Amino acid sequence: MDATSYRFDVVVVGAGPAGSSAAYTLAKRGFKVLLVERGRSPGAKNMFGGRVYVSPLKEIYPDFENKAPIHRWVTREKVSLVDGDNMTTLEYEARNSKSFTTYLTQLSGWMAKQAEEAGALLLNEITVDRLYMENGFVRGIVVGEEVLKADVVIDAEGINRLVLEKSGIVPRLKPSQVALGIKEVIKLSVEEINTNFGLEGNEGLAWILMGDVTKGVPGGAFIYTNRDSVSLGLVVYLEDAIYKVNKHISNYIEELRLHPLLNKYIKEGRIMEYSSHLIPEDIGSIMPPKPYYNGLLIAGDAAGFLLNLGYTYRGVDFAAYSGYLAAKAVEYGHDNGGYNEENLSIYKKYLEESFILKQLKKFKDVHSLMKKERLFELYPSLANHIARELFHIDYESPKILEAIKKAKEGRVGWFTLLRDLYEVSRKI
Amino acid sequence: MPLDIIVGIKWVPNTTAVNIDPKTGTLIREGIPSVVNPHDLTAVEMALKLKDKYGGSVTAISMAPPSALAGLEHVIGMGVDRGILASDRAFAGADTLATSYVLAKVIEKIGRFDLVIMGHETIDSSTAHIGAQVASWLNLPYVYYVVDAVLEDDGNTLEVTRILENAYEKYRIRLPAVISIAMHTFNPRRVRLSEKLRAKMEKPIEIWSIKDLEIDPNCAGLRGSPTVVSGIDFVPKVPRKNEVFQGSDPKEAARWLLSKLIEEGLLDL
Repeated sequence: MDATSYRFDVVVVGAGPAGSSAAYTLAKRGFKVLLVERGRSPGAKNMFGGRVYVSPLKEIYPDFENKAPIHRWVTREKVSLVDGDNMTTLEYEARNSKSFTTYLTQLSGWMAKQAEEAGALLLNEITVDRLYMENGFVRGIVVGEEVLKADVVIDAEGINRLVLEKSGIVPRLKPSQVALGIKEVIKLSVEEINTNFGLEGNEGLAWILMGDVTKGVPGGAFIYTNRDSVSLGLVVYLEDAIYKVNKHISNYIEELRLHPLLNKYIKEGRIMEYSSHLIPEDIGSIMPPKPYYNGLLIAGDAAGFLLNLGYTYRGVDFAAYSGYLAAKAVEYGHDNGGYNEENLSIYKKYLEESFILKQLKKFKDVHSLMKKERLFELYPSLANHIARELFHIDYESPKILEAIKKAKEGRVGWFTLLRDLYEVSRKI
Repeated sequence: MPLDIIVGIKWVPNTTAVNIDPKTGTLIREGIPSVVNPHDLTAVEMALKLKDKYGGSVTAISMAPPSALAGLEHVIGMGVDRGILASDRAFAGADTLATSYVLAKVIEKIGRFDLVIMGHETIDSSTAHIGAQVASWLNLPYVYYVVDAVLEDDGNTLEVTRILENAYEKYRIRLPAVISIAMHTFNPRRVRLSEKLRAKMEKPIEIWSIKDLEIDPNCAGLRGSPTVVSGIDFVPKVPRKNEVFQGSDPKEAARWLLSKLIEEGLLDL
């Protein structure tokens, strides 16, 4: 049943970073675009840790740095290995920055507004049930009993990709393919953040923690400073979490917040928000067989475009840039006589030429590392033992090798240690 | 017999997310998303049910700043035909009396209507005044806590059922009339894509300012509002002790809890 008399050139499913950048790019180039969003407003269903890498976004949006809702520029990076109340940290500080912190709801809202101002029509609170097919072509969307036709559809529905599942393009996600992110946003004043974290002005901190902060579940924790709040969160591999987590997962973040090494930074704070979301992890298996079909392109998390190296997470820039490339592919199809697979396959080529598929290919084996429990328990503990041997001195200082030997005694052999080190250096 | 129905909606801060500033006693609205008052969506659902059954039209009205357009778009997405937003700086700071006055003027200007439907109350102030006050301004019959309404064959009489604590009452009222719907009577229907598109593409929402309405400025906004908030008292905060029983024996846990309650003077054995 074609219940609507309206027609659009392009329907974009999902007003997150991928969908909104696609809608913006296409609307700016004169396409009649409908952007549909399931949430009450763009970004309502989005979640991320807290940091966005800016270069890809600058390419999409002119004057991005001055117009977008940016909270702080990340000038300090910390990676910590935690073992009980010991913590060994690597810290990097620079005067300039390539990434910023923000609220994703604000950034998504801003990006959707750019699409609207460019001429796209945004509809909130519309849940797409499935794709509308005609003769092997995607020709629109189905919402309830209604069909809305369009020449081409961009699916940017996110990791919880029910539309693609119902349309038979991808199978149901398995726990082994995803991680669970859980986050609290803790309100502090600008001054408290600057004082507590040693920052000035709009300088920001990105802090990744590994070790027993996840209570033995493979994963990690993060802290990002926003303008006047802190995002504190955990990422745990869902498959492991299922059998290792024996109480509600929110307890884990409670314990993280109260952790003696962390609580001192945020103790004046008030919890404003609790959220959780799935995160693509086993990218190779999540990616649909193709990101293009007759009349359809897939972008963002729905296509599995996310990079987790353990010490950095990149999702928003990958999503936004893939949306941008999908828009360019639509334009190519339009100029070359239609949206068949042959024409739309240019999207794959654009992705391969861009950082997106280059990076995902380069780091394709990282996920297999993330399954090594030694990485999440033993090594953080080892690092802290070594540090303790070196710095906790009564009378006699050890040689470094002595410290390492003593720390690893009875816990791991040289062979395993060196083999793991080799594997890590090869894969990351 | 078709029914022309007017439904009142309010654009309210989502109170599940609102906190009160302990210093000023006012709502902290900063960054709090607004929603259509959920009890008004029940009223909209009632109006749409009546329209489905008898035909006619549904017009949603609201008095609010322009941001409430999103709320009117939402109910048009549900199937409401037309929206009217009374919006003017002169309406700001209104209590229920001044609000009901402006809404009554909007209804007067619409002119042709058979029934006005309101929600039970709003989630941000819970006065449940507006229905009764609008009916008073318009000099119309008013029944509240309504759960059902049936149009009689004469097309001019409505049989309404209202719910009391442990009884139902039935009234026959002559139209036009005002009713308000008991909360949670219906689940509001899902927004339809085609209606939502209509809300955006065909501009079915009008904005009326004070100039569009025959309004005595002394009766609108802050000037027309006799209500004064004289002060707010807070429930004293009892600091939480956050004591957790460490152990696994339920008997021991019960004993521990009991001793704690006695210790705190909450139980006297």
